[in-house]
Amino acid sequence: MEGFSRIDIFATKGTEYLFVIGYLVILILFWQLSTRQVALKRKIQQVLGILSASILRIPQGMFYSKNHTWTHLEESGAARVGMDDLLQHVTGEVQFSGLKAPGEIIRQGDLLTEIHQEGKHLRIFSPISGEILDTNAELAESPGLVNEDPYKKGWIYKIKPSDWKAETSSCYLADEATSWAVKELERFKDFLAVSMKKHATEPSMIVLQDGGELLDNTLAHLPPEVWKDFQQEFLGKPS
Amino acid sequence: MGLDRRSFLKTLGVAGATLTLGKSFGASADPVSDTEFYGILYDSTRCVGCQSCEFACAEEYGLPFPTEAVETGVIKSTTDKQRVVINSYSTSKGDQFIRKSCNHCNNPACASACLTKAMYKTEEGPVIWREDKCMGCRSCMISCPFDIPKFEYDSPNPKVEKCRMCYERMQNGSMPACVEVCPPEALLFGKRRDLIEIARTRIYTEPEKYHHAIYGEHEVGGTGLLTISAVPFEELGLRKDLGNTSYPEYSKTFLYSVPAVLILWPAFLLGLHNSVKERKKNKLNQEEEEQS
Amino acid sequence: MKTAEQTGFFRFIMYELKPKGKIITPFNVIAGITILVAAYILFFRFKDGLGSVIHASQDLPWGLWINFNVITGVAFAGGAFVVTFMVYIMGMEKYRPIVRATVLYALLSYMFYAGALLLDLGRPWKVINPIIGNSFGISSVLFLVAWHFLLYMGSLFIEFSPTVTEWAAWKRWRKIAVKMTLAVVIFGIALSTLHQSGLGALFLMAKPKIHPLWYSEFIPLLFFISSIFAGLSLVIIMETINQRVFKQEMAFEFKSAHRSIMMSLARVCAVTMFVYLFMTILVFIHGNNFGFINTPYGYWYLVEVIGFVLIPCVIFLFGYNRRNLLLVRTAAIMAILGIVLNRLNISMIAYHWYDKGFHYPTWKEVVVSVAVIFVQILVFRWIIRRMPVYRGSPSWVKEEQHKKPQINQEKRRKLWKVSAE
Repeated sequence: MEGFSRIDIFATKGTEYLFVIGYLVILILFWQLSTRQVALKRKIQQVLGILSASILRIPQGMFYSKNHTWTHLEESGAARVGMDDLLQHVTGEVQFSGLKAPGEIIRQGDLLTEIHQEGKHLRIFSPISGEILDTNAELAESPGLVNEDPYKKGWIYKIKPSDWKAETSSCYLADEATSWAVKELERFKDFLAVSMKKHATEPSMIVLQDGGELLDNTLAHLPPEVWKDFQQEFLGKPS
Repeated sequence: MGLDRRSFLKTLGVAGATLTLGKSFGASADPVSDTEFYGILYDSTRCVGCQSCEFACAEEYGLPFPTEAVETGVIKSTTDKQRVVINSYSTSKGDQFIRKSCNHCNNPACASACLTKAMYKTEEGPVIWREDKCMGCRSCMISCPFDIPKFEYDSPNPKVEKCRMCYERMQNGSMPACVEVCPPEALLFGKRRDLIEIARTRIYTEPEKYHHAIYGEHEVGGTGLLTISAVPFEELGLRKDLGNTSYPEYSKTFLYSVPAVLILWPAFLLGLHNSVKERKKNKLNQEEEEQS
Repeated sequence: MKTAEQTGFFRFIMYELKPKGKIITPFNVIAGITILVAAYILFFRFKDGLGSVIHASQDLPWGLWINFNVITGVAFAGGAFVVTFMVYIMGMEKYRPIVRATVLYALLSYMFYAGALLLDLGRPWKVINPIIGNSFGISSVLFLVAWHFLLYMGSLFIEFSPTVTEWAAWKRWRKIAVKMTLAVVIFGIALSTLHQSGLGALFLMAKPKIHPLWYSEFIPLLFFISSIFAGLSLVIIMETINQRVFKQEMAFEFKSAHRSIMMSLARVCAVTMFVYLFMTILVFIHGNNFGFINTPYGYWYLVEVIGFVLIPCVIFLFGYNRRNLLLVRTAAIMAILGIVLNRLNISMIAYHWYDKGFHYPTWKEVVVSVAVIFVQILVFRWIIRRMPVYRGSPSWVKEEQHKKPQINQEKRRKLWKVSAE
C-alpha cells in the first residue's frame, strides 16, 4: 500500500478461475439432479390415494372410445369391452345393473350397462357394435374387479364385432390414448370446478387436506347432482 | 424447457450485472471550484493535554464544559455533547497526547451517504451538519470510517454532533476557537496545501523528534485535519487499515450502474416477453393446424 | 354479496369495513395486545427520543426496526418481482393462482416497512426533504433506496389494482389497470433489482467496521440473489398458511394447483440457492479470507452458510424430487432463517465486531417490530376476505374478456371493406 514493496491485486484470480470451472461442472450435475423424476413418486401417490396422471393405467394395445370404454380384439375374433382406468378411478366401487344377456345385439353408442353407487348412477355406452357372446358373471359378486383390473379380470362383455375396422378407427390407441387420457383428467378437473360451483359443493371434500391434489374415487364423495352433470356434460359432450 | 431458459437467463443477468459493476464509467474527478481547502494541523509533540481546545469548543457552541481530565489509558470518545476530545496513550516514547475530532475528509463518506445533503462538504473545506435538512437516518454514522458523528438519542428533536471547524467564524475571517486558544500552539489553521508543507518542514528539520508521516495526507483520500506525532499513529489509536481511497468510491460502482440497469432491464424484459409471446402463438397455430 | 353498483359506494365501503368472522380469536387477542403495547411504547419514543426505546449506540446506530423490518423484511417481499416476472414476462400460467396474493403481500410489506423506517428516523417529519425540495442527496445510496421504495410501491399498487377494481366493480378502471400491467411489471423488476441490491450497498462504505467474512464489494449482488429465494421461500410458507386459514376464500383452481406450484417454487429456490452458494464461495476466495475461518466469527459464518444455505438447498432438491411437501416447507423455513441471519449479521452482529459485545435489542424494540408485522397481517387478512385475491374474478370479468375478440373482428371487417374500396 505504501509504494515501497511489491503488491498483487489479482492474487486470487487464478484460484477463482479454477473455482468457476469446478462450479460449471457441478452445475451440470446439479441440473440433472433437479430434473430427475423419481419412480417413488408414483407409488407414494397411489398410497396416498391421489388421482393424478402418473397412476393411470393405459395399456397401449387397447382401443379407447370417447365414452371411456375400451375394446380389445382377441385371437378367437371376439372382442372384449369394459370401463377404462380413468372412469374406474373417478367413480370408485360400484354395482352393476342392467347387464345384457348373451345373444343380444348392441350398437356403438348403445347402453352397455348402468353402474350404481349409493343412490347415484351412471350409464356407460358401448364402443363397438355386435352380438353379445358372454357377460362377465363375476362382476355381480365382486364388482371390485373392475377397480382392481379394469382391462383383464374386469371385462364386462365379450362381443362378436360387426364392423370392427370402421368403428375402431375413431378410437384412440397407444401414444394417442395416453395423451388423450392425460387431457381427459385435466378436463375432469375443470368439469369439477364448474359443476361443484353450480351445486355449491364444498371443494375440500374431494381435495387432499394438505396439498390440494385430487382425491381418488373423486365422484364417490360428491352428490348425485354432480353425477348427473358428469353424465351430461363430461361423458355426454366429449372433447 | 421453460426452466432451462430461465436459469440460463438468470446466469446471463448475473454475469451482466457483474460486468456492469466492474466497469468504471469515468465520471470526472476534477475539482469543480478554485477555492482550496482549509485545514487544521495538530502537532502531538507540542500538545500538553491542557484541554483548552475542549473548553473553547464547548463555549463556542453552548455545550456543557467537559468534566473529566485527561488520563493515560482512559480513552474517551466524542459524544453528542462534546465535539473534540484529547486522549493520552502510553507509547514507546512515553505518554503522548492525541486529538480526536472530525477529520473533515476531502471526499467525506458522511456527506456522500447523506440523502438530504444535511452533511455537506463546504467549498472551503469544513464538513458541516445542516440542521434544517437532517431527518436523523444516521447513515452518516454507518458510513464514517472514523465513527465520528454522534446522535442525540435522548432528544425528541435530535441533532447530529461533530466538529464543524467553526465554519461561521471562518466566514467572518477568524480561525476556529480551538486553534485560537491553544496555549502551546499545537494547533495551526491555514490552507491544507500550506499545512502539509509546514508539517513536512517540521519533520525534515527534526527527524528524530517525529514519526516520518502525516496522518491525513493520504488516508481515506486525504483529510482536512492533519496530525503529526512522535510515534507511529497506531500507538495513538489511529487506524492505519482504512486505506487511501476516499470512501464514496466504495459505493461508486453500485451507483454508477443504476442508470445502466434502468435502461438495460426494461429493454431486455420487453424482448423476452415478446419472444415468449411469439413462441406461444406459434404453438397455438401448430395445434390448431393439427386438429383441423 | 352486495356490490358497489347496487348499493352506492359509501354504503359498500361501510359494509366492507365491518369485521368478518369472529372478533375474539387467539390470534386477534395476541395481535391486539401487542399493537396496543407498541402504541404505548411509540408514544414515549416520540416524547423522549429514540434512545428511550431502542438500544442503539453511537457505534451501532441502527436498531431492530431498520435492520430487521426494513432490511430483512424487504428481502422477503422479493417474491413479487420473481413471480410477476414468471407470470407476465415469461407467460408461465402455472403461477397465476398465486400472483395476486404475492403482489398484495409485497405491497403491504413495503408500505408497513417504510412505516417502520419512519419510526427509526430521528426526525421523521423531515422525510419530506429528499422527496421534494432542494435536498436531493443524489450521491447517497439511501436516497436511491428511498425513491425506489416509493416508485415500487406505486408499481405494486397498480399491479394490484385490477383486484381492487374487481372488488369495487369499477369496470373502466379495471381495463386501464390491466393495460398498464406489463409496463409496471417491467419497471418493477428493474426497480427491485436496484433496491434489493441497494439495501446491501448501504453498507459498502462501512468496510472497516464489518467483519471481512461478511463484507465485500459484492454485497449488493449477493443481496439481490438472496432476495430471490428469500421471497419465494416466504411465498411457500405464506401459501401453506393461507390455503388452510383462508380455505373458504379459495376457488377450486387454487387449491388443486397448490401442490404443483409449491414443488416448482422449491425447484427454483434450490437452483437459486445453489448459485448463491457458489457466489458466496467465490467472494470468499476473492477476499482471501481463509485465515478467518478458524475463529469464533468464522464458525458463525460457517453456520450461516452451511447450515442455512447449503442444507436448505439440498432439502429443497430432495423435497422436489420426492414431491414431499413437508421437506419443501422445512427447507423454506430454514432458508428464511438463513436470510434473517445473513441480514442481521451484516447490520448488527458482524458490525463493529471487534468491540465490546453484541448489543441485544430491547424488548420494546422487539414488541414494536412484531406489532408492525401483526398490523400487516391484519390488513392482509382484511383484503383477502373481501377482494378477489384467491376467490377468482367476478363473472363480469369473463364477460368483458369474451367481448374483446368480437370487437376486433368487426374492426377487421371494416378495415378490409375500406381497403378493398
